[in-house]
Amino acid sequence: MSVRRAIIHQLREEARRLLSERRVDCIIGYETGPRGRVRPAFLYEPAEADRLVWGPECVHNLTTYLHNKKKPRKRGEEPPRIGIVVKPCDSRTLNVLFAERQIERGRVYVIGIACEGVMGRDGQPAAKCRRCTDRVPLVYDLLLGEPPAVEPAPDDWSDLERVAAMAPAERLTFWLREFDRCIRCYACRQVCPGCYCPTCAFERDDGLWVDMGIEIPQKFVFHLGRAFHLAGRCVECDECERVCPMGLPLSLLNRCLVREIEALYGHRAGRAEALTPLLFELGPEGSPI
Amino acid sequence: MRFTTLDRLKAWLDRLAQEVDLVAPCDVDGHVLYRPVSSSEEVLLDYERPELPAKDYLFPATEVLLRIEQRGKDVALEEVLPDRRQVLFGIRPCDAHGLAAIDALFLHQAPPDRYYQHHRERTTLVGMACIRMWEGCFCTSMGGGPTDATYLDVLIRPGPEGFFLQPVTPRGVAVLEGLEVTEPKGEPLPVEEYNPPVPVTPTAKWRAMFEGNIWMRHGERCLSCRICTYVCPTCRCFDVADRVVDIRSGVTRIERIRAWDACTSPNYRRVAGGHNPRPTNWERLRNRFLCKFCYYPEDFGPLGCVGCGRCIVSCPVDIDITEVMRDVAQK
Repeated sequence: MSVRRAIIHQLREEARRLLSERRVDCIIGYETGPRGRVRPAFLYEPAEADRLVWGPECVHNLTTYLHNKKKPRKRGEEPPRIGIVVKPCDSRTLNVLFAERQIERGRVYVIGIACEGVMGRDGQPAAKCRRCTDRVPLVYDLLLGEPPAVEPAPDDWSDLERVAAMAPAERLTFWLREFDRCIRCYACRQVCPGCYCPTCAFERDDGLWVDMGIEIPQKFVFHLGRAFHLAGRCVECDECERVCPMGLPLSLLNRCLVREIEALYGHRAGRAEALTPLLFELGPEGSPI
Repeated sequence: MRFTTLDRLKAWLDRLAQEVDLVAPCDVDGHVLYRPVSSSEEVLLDYERPELPAKDYLFPATEVLLRIEQRGKDVALEEVLPDRRQVLFGIRPCDAHGLAAIDALFLHQAPPDRYYQHHRERTTLVGMACIRMWEGCFCTSMGGGPTDATYLDVLIRPGPEGFFLQPVTPRGVAVLEGLEVTEPKGEPLPVEEYNPPVPVTPTAKWRAMFEGNIWMRHGERCLSCRICTYVCPTCRCFDVADRVVDIRSGVTRIERIRAWDACTSPNYRRVAGGHNPRPTNWERLRNRFLCKFCYYPEDFGPLGCVGCGRCIVSCPVDIDITEVMRDVAQK
């Protein structure tokens, strides 16, 4: 049996057990839709366990759905307990959400999967996987699969070089051209597990900071503002870039701040259960922090 | 059928670009999009279904409706209705079909939408037939088709050595006047590939399924973004707001704008006081589908879907309108 098939078998067995023993109320994993595309799946009954799949198409970061599971399904009940399938990159989101008191550790049963990398839209290894140093999730209750034989690749920030090499005016032109394609669909915000504010500062109908127009100034402020709000919190799962229907290179913005925060504070979001130092740490007087 | 060559078509496009606002499919950093062009060199003639529909040019994503100027107690209002004529070249039959669906509300209900009507009257639709159905396309199930000329002013069909021209309306005849035709060579390219049909269920059954559990099943993974509504050639919801553009001593300039809105977005249905009658992602998605297949056709006539398939290919979590249609048909 191949590693992948063994993982799928174990995953289904475990899901069946968790649901039939009522250890969890819902399992969030992956299934294959009728078009053959892999997508998020929500299971409530043991009989549904055989829908679960695992493979290099399992690119989605499912932890974003935990925000929809914070409230009880019926008034007076406890919030649901969730079993969730995570890759190593997704597991870093859990550390951020635990630290930010968004999800109680005890309410989540984490099924971690040792990961050889997932595919981008072009069928090639996703950019995040080419620089991945974690082949095993950092948080899990159950680990499926063996640490794969893939050599961890140290992050070389080569993706940022192209933009960093530009003169400021050239860089502005580059970003304005990208933002011009943006349709302000907010898919990047909606998919982001770190974007969970009940009312976003850039929500359009309030119009206090950014009006509802779908034009370059609003898009510019939104994307830069979102990147800053994620500074020290973004785990580089690249979901924002994956879901963008217009192909904006949004991870460049986030990764630029990831590099700054790491250089200043030695902090990389989600490596441990810790808050972003950007808002919570003050350095000694005169220090750059 | 009238026929022209590539060179003549390009010369005609270059002249059109001088005379009117010409919009055509372009390669925008690797994305096929309808964009204003100034020369035929920018125009794609062999292209897939553009990633966004053509509605933006009749119902802009952001449109200034009024300019308001306040000086002390004096308030001046100026309506913004630019008098520009435009030709939308190379739109797909489904895009024109989508505009026909929007017409049912914006033109054929009283009073008509003044702004949409203004643009519509000044727009000529020159379509390009599809030589195949692309991923997700199901136009043939929705009353359209890859070579459907019904809602266009002109349909162009590519051939092996040129283009076949089929004027449909007097406006289409007029726009072709400057285009030199020649002796036809060959036949229009046939449609290479059709996608399997999708069942369309009567509105009453959709309404009866309001309480069904299929909405949670399809909608629980919905991210509540706006992709499906913004890529849709028939979605036409908007919101209106005033924005201050300039404040100087004694003079305040305000613009009243309207911008696209989306029923899938969490705040769309929020009312004064903060109550949201559609608080979950799956309730919002249910509304989107019932609007297309029940509320819109019952209220205004046409279905709110033309089968362009864009929402299917652009949904990041594989929400598939044809899967929902099949589920409803099977219930």
